[in-house]
Amino acid sequence: MDTKLRNISRKTATKSIAFVMVVILFTAAIVSAAYVDYININLESLFVNQYKDSETFANEFFDAIYDTYYFTNDFPRNIPDELDYLYYLKTDGLENTNSGIYTKEYFLSFEDAAFIYENGNIVLGENTAPSTITRFYREGNLIMYIAFPDEYMAEKQNVWELERDKLIPIVATIIANLIISLALIIYLIRVTGRKHEDENIHYSWIDKVYSELLLFAFIPALGLWFGAMSELSYYPSYNNYQLNSIQVRNLLIIGLVTAIVTIICGILLLSIVRKIKGKILLRHSITYKFFSTINDFIKSLFDGRKFSKNSLTKTLHQRQVIFIVASFLLVLFTFIFLTFPPLMIMPPILEIALIYWYIKYNNETFGEINKGFDESIEEQMKSERMKIDLITNVSHDLKTPLTSIISYVDLLSKEEDLSESARDYVNILMEKSNRLKNIVSDLFDLAKSTSGNINMNFEMIDLKKLIEQTLGDMEDSIEESSLQIKTNLPEEPVNILSDGKKLYRVFQNIIDNALKYSLQGTRIFIELEIVEGKAIVTIKNIASYEMNFTPDEIMERFTRGDKSRTTEGSGLGLSIAESFTQVSGGKFSIDVDGDMFKVIISFQSV
Amino acid sequence: MDKIKILVADDDKEIAKAIAKLLTIENYEVIKVYNGLEALDVLISNNIQLILLDIMMPKLDGLSTMLKIRENKNIPIIILSAKSEDSDKILGLSMGADDYITKPFNPEELVARVKSQLRRYLFLGDMGNISNDSTIVVGGLCLNKDSKDFLVDGEAVKLTPTEYKIMEFLMSNAGIVFSAERIYEEVWQEPAYSVENTVMVHIRRIREKIEINPKEPKYLKVVWGIGYKIEKH
Repeated sequence: MDTKLRNISRKTATKSIAFVMVVILFTAAIVSAAYVDYININLESLFVNQYKDSETFANEFFDAIYDTYYFTNDFPRNIPDELDYLYYLKTDGLENTNSGIYTKEYFLSFEDAAFIYENGNIVLGENTAPSTITRFYREGNLIMYIAFPDEYMAEKQNVWELERDKLIPIVATIIANLIISLALIIYLIRVTGRKHEDENIHYSWIDKVYSELLLFAFIPALGLWFGAMSELSYYPSYNNYQLNSIQVRNLLIIGLVTAIVTIICGILLLSIVRKIKGKILLRHSITYKFFSTINDFIKSLFDGRKFSKNSLTKTLHQRQVIFIVASFLLVLFTFIFLTFPPLMIMPPILEIALIYWYIKYNNETFGEINKGFDESIEEQMKSERMKIDLITNVSHDLKTPLTSIISYVDLLSKEEDLSESARDYVNILMEKSNRLKNIVSDLFDLAKSTSGNINMNFEMIDLKKLIEQTLGDMEDSIEESSLQIKTNLPEEPVNILSDGKKLYRVFQNIIDNALKYSLQGTRIFIELEIVEGKAIVTIKNIASYEMNFTPDEIMERFTRGDKSRTTEGSGLGLSIAESFTQVSGGKFSIDVDGDMFKVIISFQSV
Repeated sequence: MDKIKILVADDDKEIAKAIAKLLTIENYEVIKVYNGLEALDVLISNNIQLILLDIMMPKLDGLSTMLKIRENKNIPIIILSAKSEDSDKILGLSMGADDYITKPFNPEELVARVKSQLRRYLFLGDMGNISNDSTIVVGGLCLNKDSKDFLVDGEAVKLTPTEYKIMEFLMSNAGIVFSAERIYEEVWQEPAYSVENTVMVHIRRIREKIEINPKEPKYLKVVWGIGYKIEKH
């Protein structure tokens, strides 16, 4: 269940949907907020239940107090005919009012909004909010009563509630949008870079951008957004919550810009998150690259580990370090001595001396290295010669006693007064010594060809002809067997550059092998074809036994498919075929497919 | 008639002894020596008619000994050596050896080769004299166009008409390599089509008749991937 959920949550489709939703919800929230801004609605109605308790009303009340005071006292002028409130004002020699009754009690009867000022003492209506109006104070004699009539307050409260009713769904939507967006962003941050198959971080194309560039890209994106918002936000409407055409256009632009910026910022943010998750945010930055390159460069100048194995290269490296440091110091001194010109001649002179010292001793070391190099080549050639000598000597040392054995066994067999059993023994000796002779001969052929000490005679030969000749040469043994040979050779000659005699041994050995180990009555297929400039020979046969070995195993020296048949051959046939093919410039491979044994030989055709 | 004297030079005494024994059975008189210098000494004081010579011997090696012998004698020399590379054989033969046998050898083959060399040397010495326009001689092979006789080291060998024609063609062009097609057209007088196997089988049959060891032919050679030739001697 968990893994199923994880699989779904890590699907690219799921992630894409989440991303698109974030963009839509966030854009919707911003556009809604801009709409609220445009229709000039008072947000305070959301937070304050009664209009009389609101900051808005407090300001209105405050304005009313000051208006009354200034209009009628300091700058007496015509009082507007219609006022939303009632007032009574009395100072030294001045008395004004717009109310029929101007007793304190009458004014205080408007409990929701009443203000009584009498020479520094303030009394408020019973239910009047004690907000900013209590700060009012004037020197001297002043009596001022202000009250908003109940009808006015009721009407205001009505509008107040109307606005609230209009605001609540919009604000609720905005908040919901933002919360869902935030949740989706958190989800995206969690799953980004993950795939359901494994626990590795998978990077996207954007992650190839260096980390600094990703971070810097926020600046133009957010700059565009804030610019657009500030440019477009001063178009308040006074038209009873209706939008004018400019505002509608602006809202569309805001939506578009917000969507684009959200997409850009989202991509950037997720990329940074992936890099943080993969712990490559720092490493994959220009700054890091820059410093690590410098670091590597400096390290490579002074890091002598590679050269410390050999004392000569170690000396070379130490000298190089001294040279670099000394040269650097000399350049430094040149600048220091700029203040005192006569001394400026010193660094160049020292530099010349340094170069002289550096080159002189380096040349000596190079000479020694060359000497060592020559010695090692000579050593190698010597060991090569020793290898050839070894093969020749061992060959001689094996063949000489074998010659005696074969000769004396032959002589023994010619003795007339041998007992019946002695004659049996002699025959066995004869057979075995001949087999030994074949093995020794094969062994040295193989040793010579694998060690590369074999004389080759490369000439242009026709591979097709060679196969036909080999088959003709082996006709007797083919006829003796119960097997048939099927050939599929091209009409035209197939010319290759190779050693015919060696290749004859190759095909002889392979066909011999096929004749020995094929199932009775089956066919051996020999095909020659040219594929892409390569002459490819395929020899296939059906084994008479289960081939429970790999192609590699059969190529191992002295291994034979059928271990019960240890009395014939040297077991080196295929090894010799492989080695001879290689020294003749071809490629040799074996394929085992069920009971089918397949040898594939290929040459570059000419 | 005196027994034919054969000199066996091999530093391995047991081998020399075995060869001596093998040849004694065949009614030859054998003198054994164990190095090149001894061989030269024996040659001066004895009427030797064939030499079996090892290459790797102390004091004077086989090849140097052979060069010395060849200064004044043309008796058959068969090299016996553990060196089995083609290049060793070619070197030995070009320095004057008549045959080259690699160790370990098959005793029967050794005896056969000794006999063949002796026949050529002793009884066919005058074959050159009887040779005329109608005979072709290549080494120990002799073909008479008139009598259609075919001799190997003086011994008549029966060839079928086709085999005879193949040998006649190849021997009259000894040393030249011919393709199966060319041989077929020449011998069968028919256009050749897919004849490699036919020709090869005939070549193999001829080889079995004329070669001491058909697996290592001395005269009739297959040039693998190219054709066939009679080695020039």
